[in-house]
Amino acid sequence: MSEPVIKGMKDIPSEHILGAGTALCAGCGALQALHEIYDVLGENTVFVNSAGCMTLMSVYPFTPFRGGWLYTAMASAPAGAQGVRDALDILLAKKRIAPEEDMQVAVLSGDGATYGMGLAAASCAIDRDLDFLYICYDNEGYGNTGNQTSAGTPHASRTATDTGAEGVPGYKKDLFGLWVANRPAYAATVIGAEPLDLARKVEKAKSIKGPKLILALSPCPVGWDYDPMETLEIGRLAVKTGIWPLKEFVDGKVVHTKTPHPRTPVEEYLKLQGRYAHLFSPKRNDALIDEIQSRVDAYWDAVGD
Amino acid sequence: MFRIRFHGRGGQGMKTASHILGSAFFHEGFEVQDAPRYGAERRGAPIFAYVRAARGAINERGIIRHPDLVIVADESLVPVPAAEVLANFAPHTTLLINSAESAETWRERLNLSSPIICLPLAEAGEQAELPYMGVACAAAAARLTGVIGRESLGDTVAEELGSLGEEVVAENLRRALAAFDAMADHEGCVAEGEERLAAPAEGPDWIEMPLDLGEQATPAIHAGATSVEVRTGLWRVMRPVVHEDHCNKCVWICGSLCPDSVISTGAGGYPEVDYDHCKGCMICVAACPRHAIEAVPEHGAAGETAATHEEASP
Amino acid sequence: MTRQLLTGNVAAAWGVRLAEVDYVPAFPITPQTEIIETIAGWIDKGEMDCRMVTMDSEHSMITAAGAAVATGVRSYAATSSQGLLYGMEMLYTVAGWRTPFVLTNVSRGLSAPITLESDHNDVMAARDSGFLQIHCATCQEVVDATLMAYRLAEDKRVRVPVIVNLDGFYLSFTREPVDIPDPAKAREFLPPFDPGSLKFRAGRPLSEAVAVLGGTPYSYFRYELHLAAMGALAVYDEVAEDFARLFGRRYDAVESYRAEDADYVFVMLGSFSTKARDAVDGLREAGVAAGLVRPRLFRPFPVEALRRALAGRKGVAVIDQNLSMGKGGVLHGELLSALYGVADAPPVVAGFIGGLGGRDIGPGEFREMISVLEQAVADGETPPPRLLFSAEELRHVRKLQASAHVEREEIHRQERGDTERDET
Repeated sequence: MSEPVIKGMKDIPSEHILGAGTALCAGCGALQALHEIYDVLGENTVFVNSAGCMTLMSVYPFTPFRGGWLYTAMASAPAGAQGVRDALDILLAKKRIAPEEDMQVAVLSGDGATYGMGLAAASCAIDRDLDFLYICYDNEGYGNTGNQTSAGTPHASRTATDTGAEGVPGYKKDLFGLWVANRPAYAATVIGAEPLDLARKVEKAKSIKGPKLILALSPCPVGWDYDPMETLEIGRLAVKTGIWPLKEFVDGKVVHTKTPHPRTPVEEYLKLQGRYAHLFSPKRNDALIDEIQSRVDAYWDAVGD
Repeated sequence: MFRIRFHGRGGQGMKTASHILGSAFFHEGFEVQDAPRYGAERRGAPIFAYVRAARGAINERGIIRHPDLVIVADESLVPVPAAEVLANFAPHTTLLINSAESAETWRERLNLSSPIICLPLAEAGEQAELPYMGVACAAAAARLTGVIGRESLGDTVAEELGSLGEEVVAENLRRALAAFDAMADHEGCVAEGEERLAAPAEGPDWIEMPLDLGEQATPAIHAGATSVEVRTGLWRVMRPVVHEDHCNKCVWICGSLCPDSVISTGAGGYPEVDYDHCKGCMICVAACPRHAIEAVPEHGAAGETAATHEEASP
Repeated sequence: MTRQLLTGNVAAAWGVRLAEVDYVPAFPITPQTEIIETIAGWIDKGEMDCRMVTMDSEHSMITAAGAAVATGVRSYAATSSQGLLYGMEMLYTVAGWRTPFVLTNVSRGLSAPITLESDHNDVMAARDSGFLQIHCATCQEVVDATLMAYRLAEDKRVRVPVIVNLDGFYLSFTREPVDIPDPAKAREFLPPFDPGSLKFRAGRPLSEAVAVLGGTPYSYFRYELHLAAMGALAVYDEVAEDFARLFGRRYDAVESYRAEDADYVFVMLGSFSTKARDAVDGLREAGVAAGLVRPRLFRPFPVEALRRALAGRKGVAVIDQNLSMGKGGVLHGELLSALYGVADAPPVVAGFIGGLGGRDIGPGEFREMISVLEQAVADGETPPPRLLFSAEELRHVRKLQASAHVEREEIHRQERGDTERDET
């Protein structure tokens, strides 16, 4: 691991390398995170993309990327990363390319593919100790098709496929926990609304060889139903309420990089989003709000806040 | 056959508009086709929807190339080439614009001989982006055809929006009927277009597709950041304006948080917004610790922009 | 040149070794597994400078193979049956990427019911994927076709991946004498892979396989893939010519055996065609002018060569080791569309379904198919497609059903009837 360069906000790259003009929605929390990540990773990155909102980052003949991009399919972006990484290693080993022609390889995937269809491919890439960075933009639903329930959708939120009074009956999968159980080289949760925390983690991930995860909670104005301007406030509240713990797994340990203290009640986060409006109107659903709060409290109690 | 096209932005209810108008025609005994047209674009991006209505079976499909009526929910779209608002205008094509300006102003601005009707949908104190826009547009269009009754329109609105609850339906109904009534002077001004049969149409200039080398004939882009050629600034209804007198020059904040990477450090160290690409999310306004960035309606500038575009592309 | 006894699987592995493949993402499946195990053994002994990675599925395997080619290395993959179907999304995808590599498919019947033995329904499912298809009849063809497939796939005018198909068990696990091509000559035949501009390198912006919106550019890219596949017919002929010059073995796109003066011709793919050769010889001895026409190339479909080979014949029996439910044999339909409206086309082209799930086709059945053709020509009427299946076989199935306690009055009745007959 090399010495980190990013210590304060002013050290974050001021040159933004992701091209503007993409088809992603105004106020997209995923794009916010991606451009912050790309600024730290640098141009010499091949993004291997799976089906999701980011599929439409590159629409012929327009691409915002300055390095590599390969669209694969929903389930197999980690396998695509395997092919690219292996090929570059073979070319280096056989001296068919110079070391300076090498590139880092990243998977770009939404929560739909990450928490569901692409989970086996990612897990097995970790097993194979593939040197790659897995970036998941987690907007907590199948966003590109109109916010249907995915395995990353939180309990009690309303989606296009769970429209009832109680919202989604299931619970958001602990993807970070799954990765940690798989013993990767590095794993971290981030959010675009906390650019310094994000940049430090990406910088760290970049310096470590092996399978790495950057899991970015990505507020979605369309799917979560709020004004695009609120992306920042909702992102900050996700951290302040403790709903989205910022943490990293490195050297065999999970460390929280930001511990909200005191924690803002989850209600402040929920009530800004249309997907939770049924918890407040026409009648307040204390049972569900309390359940969400108590789960967050239990999490922080368990980590010894 | 009536051929009607709605133009708006993602999120302005154009799909709802086409459904309401389609259903209203249907209630009046017409055969109907209605559909939204989705691209890759998202909320704020130009989209369109269309309605066909005829007394007999409709065999046409897909986008309407020869409209009898074009409704523009968002006037800032008129000068946007990608929105294709003015595509295939015939002399009889009526243009209905949601605008506080006069038809005369638009006629001069667009140098258009077709009939133009202006209908200001925003009520006092309201912003441009309205939840009721689609419904009002559909209602106005219904009146212009002269074949849809007030009651029938009201029933349709209640039926189409019924799942949204009584309150929402009531407000939509009020808006719809207001728009319907406002078009009284123009009732029936839109005439049905001619049937278009394949025979008189021009033949296609078919070619034998040449074989290109595989390297060329695959969707690969051999340059970086070509996306900047796409002017997503046209999605914007509000524009962030930096007030340098309040600005702290901490560009790393607004510059990092802007999802679209359109804020850079400009002259004098102040943030500079790339308006060609800024989608108008206003995250920078929310992010600025000194409140030095203000959200200003794009609206007033639309006319000037229109004139500029017309000159640039005659 | 050394002559050795090799299974079809090891022959395929030799083709990969002689092609000096850089990269093999792998996934096991019967009856293909021996191929990747053989390659793995060579790599571990240092006899092959190649990297193999065991993947998590065929879907991942084909993705990795395509992605590696997109980065500029020669890649290879092998699968069978369910594996080919599991990877089907990526077959279409990597063909559209225009990433040339070779995929061996060891044909095996499809589930359900799950089975282990051979037929061609798996590879027929890949018909419209954009992959070219070469079908082998012998273990010798397997090694040779693998080398030829790399030349064909990587040709700048083609640049699409190729499936080399061999039949499970009948070739995969069957040893036959094989001439292993000389490595130096193989190198002369197959130059190193040149990815051109489609490769990821630092400092070279490249976005590959990006989305396309609108029917016009989509039509262009898809039709170009078709044109490249069509153009591969002429390129294949060049490759076959070059191969014959260097190695002395000629592999025309369509093999014709005693068909030039035949009245009746069998048309079929794969290893069972050698059975048809024997049948042709036997029929000829009995005074019947029979012949065999076997397409080696299935995609692109060698329409002109088939028309030439079948012109003026009285009747054709197409034997399909596959079944398109609700239609019949796939090759039968393909051949009919190639012959329709052509002067000199045979008046009778009858369809037979045989060899499903590895079921044998006996010499008497070849004779019977000719009888059917003779009758059809005499009547001027082509019979409907027929399954090669005997009364004895149905009795066997009935017994199995009885043992499986299938509740069917008719079965029990028939079972009793069979027993009674057997006793009398």
